Amino acid sequence: MTTTTPAAATAPDAAPGAAQPATATFAAALCAAQHDAMRLDETIVLLGQDVRAGFPFGATKGLVDVFGPDRVVNTPISEAATMGCGVGAALGGIRPVVEVDFAGFLLLGLDQLVNNGAKLRYMSGGQASVPLVVRVGQGPLGSFAAQHSQTQHAYLAGIPGLTVLAPATAQQAYDAMRWALVQDDPVVLLEDMRLYRRGGPLTRGPVPGSVTSTVHRPGTDLTILTFGHGVVTALQAAQEVAARGIDVEVLGLDSLNPLDVAGVARSVRRTGRVLCLADDPPLFGTAATLSLVATTEAHDVLRAPVLSLGGRAVPTPYTPGLEALVYPTPGAAAEAITTLMKWTD
Amino acid sequence: MTTPTRPAVDRRTAAAMYGTMALIRRFEQAAYRGYEQGEVHGTVHVGIGQEAVAVGMIGALRETDSVLSHHRGHAHALAKGVPPERLMAELYGRSDGVSRGKGGSMHATDLRRGFLGTMAIVGSSIPVATGVALANKVRGRDDVCVAFFGDGAVNQGVLYESLNLAALWRLPVIFVCENNSYAITTAVGDATAGPGVAARAEAFGVQAETIDGQDVLAVREAAERMIEGARAGRPALVECLTYRFMGHSRGDPAHGVYRDKEEVELWQRRDPLRVLAEHAGLGDDLAAELTAEARERVRAAVEFAGRSPVPGPAALMEDIVK
Repeated sequence: MTTTTPAAATAPDAAPGAAQPATATFAAALCAAQHDAMRLDETIVLLGQDVRAGFPFGATKGLVDVFGPDRVVNTPISEAATMGCGVGAALGGIRPVVEVDFAGFLLLGLDQLVNNGAKLRYMSGGQASVPLVVRVGQGPLGSFAAQHSQTQHAYLAGIPGLTVLAPATAQQAYDAMRWALVQDDPVVLLEDMRLYRRGGPLTRGPVPGSVTSTVHRPGTDLTILTFGHGVVTALQAAQEVAARGIDVEVLGLDSLNPLDVAGVARSVRRTGRVLCLADDPPLFGTAATLSLVATTEAHDVLRAPVLSLGGRAVPTPYTPGLEALVYPTPGAAAEAITTLMKWTD
Repeated sequence: MTTPTRPAVDRRTAAAMYGTMALIRRFEQAAYRGYEQGEVHGTVHVGIGQEAVAVGMIGALRETDSVLSHHRGHAHALAKGVPPERLMAELYGRSDGVSRGKGGSMHATDLRRGFLGTMAIVGSSIPVATGVALANKVRGRDDVCVAFFGDGAVNQGVLYESLNLAALWRLPVIFVCENNSYAITTAVGDATAGPGVAARAEAFGVQAETIDGQDVLAVREAAERMIEGARAGRPALVECLTYRFMGHSRGDPAHGVYRDKEEVELWQRRDPLRVLAEHAGLGDDLAAELTAEARERVRAAVEFAGRSPVPGPAALMEDIVK
């Protein structure tokens, strides 16, 4: 197998195979994780539209130069067959990574992912392994309008048989990808597109033993339960209210299915106040589920009702002024925190 | 429809094919009875009359080749070597079923025998087989994967997406269309425009032909050619003209609303068992002996299934993920 140095064309921050960078963007971390895993496991094959060019977010940039076109495979615009092919290739003994650039495109491949990928192990009584990894861009990107700006966390995380990860930082993106690539069942990585260019520290370490949840900021007064880009929003809100002496804990759910219920319980039982923060609409969405878990796990010690803050129930508009009104802002989160803190015990 | 020269098949091979077809026939008759008796649950789709396609095609495969099937898949499973007792236990929803009773008739799977599963979303196994072929190629193996599907699947977009991928990537995959004239009650002519699925496949540069699906020898001959090509990276599609003698699923009438009795009887004259017995000159005694053997194996399978325990509640949440 090929383990040559990367081509000069590789984005500096992607730098697969190069010395470990102290920091990397979220997209570069994904690229580095795929690179490091592909070096160790020659059955990993990338399938997707324009993966050789690393278009559009650079998460596979330069990999074709290292691993060749047989392992970094451009697919036609045939999402259904590509996803089915991914399922079949996994069933056939290799580890495909199917890249879906935008959430809207995943809808064409969902039949294969849900009806086959997620169910084959169960329907076969445990015989079939489908070690498929699916990467999907989620959320808004900035005036990409309704079809290219979607959040599918709630739907996907509710499908038995699918493991659904929602990393928030470059390091988590790297770890989630490395972990996904040693699993025996399908894993979906939901990558918020607003995170791709954000930088953060990265250690290209070994494969983590598990992906659960992360305390991004410890606090004592209140817990924000969130994931993906919600962590960014939550940390800003926490900083805002810290000036007023409110100490917020931000718990990022790196995995939505399975959900780290014990981690949620630990945090919310300690703080006694909970804000569930997500980008999808609160009703029938991820915030509703997190609220349910928080209530179930801590109803006896809660000092205030659990609040949920989600996106507006609307197709994402194009024009910037309207789009900005859809997703929860740090200001809105700070307001919700204020409301929660007013509740008396 | 091409009419290739019928290959000379030795008496032993012909007898083996007859025996497998007889086993499938008896098995499906028993499955149907099992449904009527409440032992087989939900629904059951039998392909009585279509046995030659599975037996001709799968008989030409190696053990390491693989097969993906659909909701009418008992024949493919048995032809690939799935033990009839384990398959019947699956239909009965019992612990000894190939899928531990969790898949049923529509999702029987036996990976050890290269029977990778039956997918009941019409056309859904087609891209999966394409992916299995991709894996074979990546792993440097020359095993082929065969996807079976009915005429109802030929208007699913994934078929054409998959034909494109198979041709583009030169994958060792064979697409087998079992054209039994009806998708439930909708006749092929009411659903499919143009000259048919073989011509459509040819447009992708995939070698394709239409053959007599009631003649197991014709299927076998086409299978051997296509498998050889597929191993060398030339994917193929074969349309087998066949007929289901019974209704679409449990309890559906064989004729009435959408086809008349005369049409069914016309096809029954081309029962694949009879066609083979005549072509191969098996003789009544051998045919009777093989049928009796099949009956005995199915009797034992039914007995095994009936004795197998019903899965306990602990099994419910097992096998979701490893």
